Amino acid sequence: MANSKVLLDVKDVSLSFGGLDALKNVSYQVTEGELFAVIGPNGAGKTSIFNCLNAVYKPQTGSAKLDGVELLDLRPADTAELGIARTFQNLALFTNLSVIDNLMLGRHHLLRSGPISGPLWWGKARREEEVQRRRCAEIADFLDLADHGSMPVGALPYGVQKRIEMGRALAMEPRLLLLDEPVAGMNQEETEETAHHILQIRRELGIATLLVEHQMDLVMDLADRVMVLDFGQVVAIGEPAEIQRNERVHQVYLGGAS
Amino acid sequence: MTALLRRSDSANPGMRQGHLDSVALFSTGWKKFGLLLGLAIYLLGPLMLSDFQLSVIDYAGIAAIGAIGLNVLTGYTGQISLGHGFFLGAGAFTAAYFGGNLDLPLPLWLAAAAVVGALIGLVIGPFALRLKGSYLAIITLGLVFLGQHIFENWKSVTGGLSGRAVTAPVKLGPVDFANLDIGGKEFSREGGYFYLIWAVVALVALLVKNLMRTRLGRAFQAVRDRDAAAEVIGVRLARTKVMSFVVSSSLAAVAGALYGSFQRFVNPEEFGLFLSIEFVAMIVIGGAATIYGPVLGALFITAVPFLIEEWSDRIPGVATEAGETGITVFALNQALFGLLIIGFLVLEPRGLAALWARIKVYFLAWPFSY
Ligand SMILES: Nc1ncnc2c1ncn2[C@@H]1O[C@H](COP(=O)(O)OP(=O)(O)OP(=O)(O)O)[C@@H](O)[C@H]1O
Ligand SMILES: [Mg+2]
Repeated sequence: MANSKVLLDVKDVSLSFGGLDALKNVSYQVTEGELFAVIGPNGAGKTSIFNCLNAVYKPQTGSAKLDGVELLDLRPADTAELGIARTFQNLALFTNLSVIDNLMLGRHHLLRSGPISGPLWWGKARREEEVQRRRCAEIADFLDLADHGSMPVGALPYGVQKRIEMGRALAMEPRLLLLDEPVAGMNQEETEETAHHILQIRRELGIATLLVEHQMDLVMDLADRVMVLDFGQVVAIGEPAEIQRNERVHQVYLGGAS
Repeated sequence: MTALLRRSDSANPGMRQGHLDSVALFSTGWKKFGLLLGLAIYLLGPLMLSDFQLSVIDYAGIAAIGAIGLNVLTGYTGQISLGHGFFLGAGAFTAAYFGGNLDLPLPLWLAAAAVVGALIGLVIGPFALRLKGSYLAIITLGLVFLGQHIFENWKSVTGGLSGRAVTAPVKLGPVDFANLDIGGKEFSREGGYFYLIWAVVALVALLVKNLMRTRLGRAFQAVRDRDAAAEVIGVRLARTKVMSFVVSSSLAAVAGALYGSFQRFVNPEEFGLFLSIEFVAMIVIGGAATIYGPVLGALFITAVPFLIEEWSDRIPGVATEAGETGITVFALNQALFGLLIIGFLVLEPRGLAALWARIKVYFLAWPFSY
């Protein structure tokens, strides 16, 4: 990694639901600009890791700091302002709104107009809309989402909706991007396109990314480092080549999968 | 990020235009045509329609303002309310007090109603909007009964059970809408109010349209579509829902103020549950989450009782005179609204506006065929 300053520092996070331990003493670090993949069998706790960083779940113990700021004490909306953006495993778009409006919502925390200036429109609110919409159009172009106009996104194909979610996350101008199974349910062509976009985000935008994905070849191709989870515990963290050689990983995960 | 994105700047001219299109309000030829048609009806209506017809349309305009308000909360933010009638009452009595007792001019008593509606919404919203769905419906229902109690007992302002006269002046500078006279052409009270009320409808529609295409209004729609996702992208749920309630209540109060002023007399009884249900019917029938849907719904719901009245002697089983057997016009209205709400919810949940919207989506979606 060219830049090895730690951006996200997670220590001893444990999360349980009733008697069930979703995460047990999970610790890891993500550096600036790194693409850090999280893999593991179903129910291993991958999505729970995201939900903790987003302050949607409150772990019983541990700490998670983004550039020194504790995330676990925050509320979900605060994490957006701090620069954490995510996509969801199951689509969570604003289905009745257009692509641009979905992206604009990603920029909600960067906008200022309110209950008086918005309705009045002329002046500040209008300028803000124009500038920000232009920016969203650029992001839409970047992800090849430009030709869907004012269609409600709920009517668009699944693969496109997945990409719009990525666009909405990018529109937040994040420092840390969380992608939860971005290619799940996609065909080969869509998967390759998305892989290309993930690479572009990493190489050209330099945004640190946490990637949860079941598709192993994709993970091994893209990731700088991989963390393997099983039953809420960290089995191994390392570069893709190391992970592929790791005995325990084979036992709990790769062995079972192939 | 900018450098990278700039490179693709010229990649898709369609999008370039597209995103600015949605900044223009009346972008298509049809919309411009609709605007001109509306303007023509606005200018010529009072010259061509009877006073009776005008009074129906005046009431419909007042209802449209309230319905646009409820639509902000229900259609755009996804929160149900059965308390809308209460806010109309609050607005009517505010107008009666500020316009009548204090003799403030039209812009001030209208603004006072808007502010009072907003403030009550701001106080009640945080409690009510913690709840969702049917719980929210029930707590807002409670608001109606609480309101009835207050309206009946705060006699100095509301006149108590027997109600009170509303004498708020309707002058704007030299223009008196109650006695409108343009270059020697005299208008009836109904004609004068037509200009006032539908100007307010247009203004409110424009303001709400603008709200919905800027930050706060988009957040309303995000909360409606996916509240969990809205929260993690930085929308504060509680605050956003309360703001929607405030806007909605404020518009209801403006409608109530105009209602009191036009009718010249208000009675606490009018602001009960049935009025709230009529507003729900308007947005269900008209179609939620559009600006013109609630206006259509308001016209429809307001006109139906008058039409029934007009034709009551030709509808079998309806009592037109006291002492006749059969159901009353009022009871028939209530039954009809009930049936209409159920019918629309079952057959066309998106209301009158949906047909047009569906046609539009079909063409926008082309060549995707779903
Ligand atoms: N809100 C919740 N309430 C109760 N249990 C939960 C909740 N969220 C997650 N869990 C449990 O925590 C464990 C980890 O779930 P999580 O969704 O994080 O797994 P995952 O690794 O993302 O799985 P998948 O690959 O299927 O998406 C599972 O056993 C799950 O049932
Ligand atoms: Mg998951």
